[in-house]
Amino acid sequence: MTEAKPATKQRGASQAAVAWRRFRKNKSALAGATVVGFFIFVAVYGVFFAPLPSRSFWCLYNSCADLPPFQNWAHPLGTEPSGIDVFSEILHGALGDLYVGVVATAISVLIGLLVGALAGYRSGVSGALLLGITQIFFVIPVLILILLFARIGQLLVAHGLGLTLIVVILGIFGWPTIAFVTRGEILRIKELEFVQAARSLGASNTRILFRHILLNVLSPIIVLASLLVAGNILTEVVISFLGFGDPSTSTWGLLLQEGFSYVRTSWWVSVFPGIAVVVAVLGFNLLGDGLSDALNPRIRE
Amino acid sequence: MGGLVNYVIRRLLFAIPVFLAVSVITYLITNAAGDPVQIVKFGIRNISPAQLEYLRLYFHEDLPVYIRYFYWLNDFLHGNLGQSLYTGSVVALIVPWIGTTLELQIPALALALAIGVPVGIYSAKHQYTKGDYAITTTAIFGISMPTFWIGIMGIIVFSYYLHWLPAFGAYSSYPPYWWGSPFMDALAHIILPLAVLTLVSIATITRLVRANMLEVLRQDYVLAARASGVSEFKVTFKHALKNAITPVVTIVGLSFGVLLGGAPALETTFSWPGLGKAFVFAATRLDLPTVLGITMIITIMVLIANIVTDLAYAVLDPRVRIT
Amino acid sequence: MGELLRVDDLRTYFYTEAGVVKAVDGVSFVANEGEPLGLVGESGSGKTVTVLAAMGIVSRPGKIVSGKIFFKGEELDHKSEKEMRKIRGKKIGYVSQDPNSSLDPLFTVGNQLVEVIRTHFEDTKDQAWDKGVKLLKLVGIPEADTRMRSYPHELSGGMKQRVAIARALAGEPELLVADEPTTNLDVTIQAQVLDLLKTLGKQLNMSLILITHDMGLIAEMTKRVVVLYAGKVAEEASTLEVFQTPKHPYTAALLASVPRLDRKEVLVPIGGGIPNLITPPSGCRFHPRCAYAKQICIDQIPPLEESGQRRLVACHRWKEIDLRRKA
Repeated sequence: MTEAKPATKQRGASQAAVAWRRFRKNKSALAGATVVGFFIFVAVYGVFFAPLPSRSFWCLYNSCADLPPFQNWAHPLGTEPSGIDVFSEILHGALGDLYVGVVATAISVLIGLLVGALAGYRSGVSGALLLGITQIFFVIPVLILILLFARIGQLLVAHGLGLTLIVVILGIFGWPTIAFVTRGEILRIKELEFVQAARSLGASNTRILFRHILLNVLSPIIVLASLLVAGNILTEVVISFLGFGDPSTSTWGLLLQEGFSYVRTSWWVSVFPGIAVVVAVLGFNLLGDGLSDALNPRIRE
Repeated sequence: MGGLVNYVIRRLLFAIPVFLAVSVITYLITNAAGDPVQIVKFGIRNISPAQLEYLRLYFHEDLPVYIRYFYWLNDFLHGNLGQSLYTGSVVALIVPWIGTTLELQIPALALALAIGVPVGIYSAKHQYTKGDYAITTTAIFGISMPTFWIGIMGIIVFSYYLHWLPAFGAYSSYPPYWWGSPFMDALAHIILPLAVLTLVSIATITRLVRANMLEVLRQDYVLAARASGVSEFKVTFKHALKNAITPVVTIVGLSFGVLLGGAPALETTFSWPGLGKAFVFAATRLDLPTVLGITMIITIMVLIANIVTDLAYAVLDPRVRIT
Repeated sequence: MGELLRVDDLRTYFYTEAGVVKAVDGVSFVANEGEPLGLVGESGSGKTVTVLAAMGIVSRPGKIVSGKIFFKGEELDHKSEKEMRKIRGKKIGYVSQDPNSSLDPLFTVGNQLVEVIRTHFEDTKDQAWDKGVKLLKLVGIPEADTRMRSYPHELSGGMKQRVAIARALAGEPELLVADEPTTNLDVTIQAQVLDLLKTLGKQLNMSLILITHDMGLIAEMTKRVVVLYAGKVAEEASTLEVFQTPKHPYTAALLASVPRLDRKEVLVPIGGGIPNLITPPSGCRFHPRCAYAKQICIDQIPPLEESGQRRLVACHRWKEIDLRRKA
């Protein structure tokens, strides 16, 4: 079917412009970007719309605890029997989840790029060793280890670190896919002519690495990063739901944990934070899928 | 066949460093406060002197950490997982949990494959039609939901609101039984967690199969088969399917660790008496011998799944035997 | 000299997200018995799509928009999928470009040959297997019995292409379409595969359509040429005439980019790239790259005119310009 392809390489239009055009035409990508934008807005400015401060038990003493949703518009999504307002807590939790999702991903991307670049660029023993370490991460039950780290970390250092503990743990466990993809891209690009040419012109190894290769590695990494943010939010929710998170910072997982203890009577405490999680995660997943379509023309043809 | 045997041996040899790596990571984190006993002392206020004495002995507290590790590893490899802080021998506890966990995980995986593969094929064959959009949209929702949360929604609707199914546990310990008999009772208990786990896995598998199928349907050998007059049925279900399913088998097998990683939250939600719930319970109560035991047992299960996967892959794809 | 395949004003469009790609836009030609035909043009000119459309296997988002296709006078475009399967492989065999990807990596050579044989003939498995062995011998594969049990990755590129040819022959077709059969092969192997195609043609009384961008192959293998440019026929003539007196500037440009041993001259690559087929250039699609273009070439689509005995050309200025290479 190679013949069917219209000549895609139009001179003049840069790669980024082509990708942007593809992205704009992709409905799910646009929806994803919109949802992510909305999520970030809520995380940053939601505080100003929240009826109550973070982790406030105000309702317990003002006879508005355990309200069902859609009845009292001061507490649109209801309140917990403990007095916590679900709507406020979702708004406050957005910031916690955005923090965990994005910063943990940033740590993973940094480690992943570094390890992947070294594993791809060094062909000798050190490269093989790094590749081996990366592969080990693919086959071990990572989530179990994350939970174990979170529990013991929570016990020893949580009061100083709060959510940052989870951020660090997720960051440390999230890099292998990034490293693997980076390595693959680097092996591929290393053989391409322009890099060979730059090399023969005497450009130093580090310059080749950063100038030519990293720019090309970026597009798959952006896709993976978007999906990783989604995965990190889901993992945070699981950690907090199981009680291994930070009980003093608002997150959706913490809200779901409390909701589960009242699930029999106060269903709304479980339902609404879950919807918030689904929307945010869906946004990042759609964005990742859309970016992958836009940045990787091969898939669409 | 020689190539195949070699291949399997190589994969087995890869499992050993993986096992050791996990054991080191797990052991080191339980030594984050200096040694395991410190953590227990720190976390549990009212621990009895007898319990502490036992932990000191079991973890060889008086030795440096790198020697302690080998004592612990040696014990583990000899099947001595120690005593739980609360309820007796860890091995005796773990064995039934393994069964309960697999009782949920394996049928879910089988069902998800049985449903997800055909749906993925349909979606790929009808790319950009309404059916395909419906499937891909549902699937991306499926992978965006926390599994345990779908479980909670199921409990709210089917147990507390409709009263159709039990909300927790794997069986009723005493009458009245759901649906009349102990067997039907177990069935009633497994439906909800099984359905939830299956739904989420279907979403993942459908997406994988669809993506692979699209890739394969573009390949020259599919075109060449069509051009030689081979029927569309055979092109799809012989050539395209086998080529698309081979990587799916690998990914699904390798992601067994991810599936088991979901067990703690899911089993906790449904009070399903398996390894996952036990892990959460033990970790919460800092029952370190049990926590270490479960982590290592899950690692071994994952490694076995990986080796089985590698074998299946080698049988399906003749190319891997030589590379 | 009977008519085998006739393609009449074929249009095949691809409905992509970026727009409608008019990959084949009004192509007509006839392939006759015993007169090897070349379809020549750059990649993206619509050569492969034309043939796939004729065989009814353009896959989505591609669609045949209009046009008629006849095989030995029988109209194909109204046939059901089931009837078409008796044409594909049985009447028209197809060898695709890349031998490394045209064989299914997960099945043995024998399995894939038997599959095609049993699609077209009522053979038992054993009979089909024996036929497969004979086919492998026919295409010059040594130790055919063992090779039947080999997987594609165990064969060299040249071997794979021979197997692909054997599979195309399995239905005993009357017409063989070879789509860039040597592009992905080593130079020494290329010659062997070309020889094989020639010998087989004679031996099995089978006609050939060769798809290529290589005028050298056209000269060696074909008697008649259809030059395609951006989904349209630029010129059609006998191979000899095309080489001696090209009438379309694009044909001349193709010829000028082929190295020749008998003369010392500068190779001239064709400037510019294949146009965007979603919004093709107005008028003559070649005008942006043509050295002879005038206003009329921008304004009007040139008709495909008779320019001699069994010769067609689509150029406004074919009478005025002299494209013969300087001797």
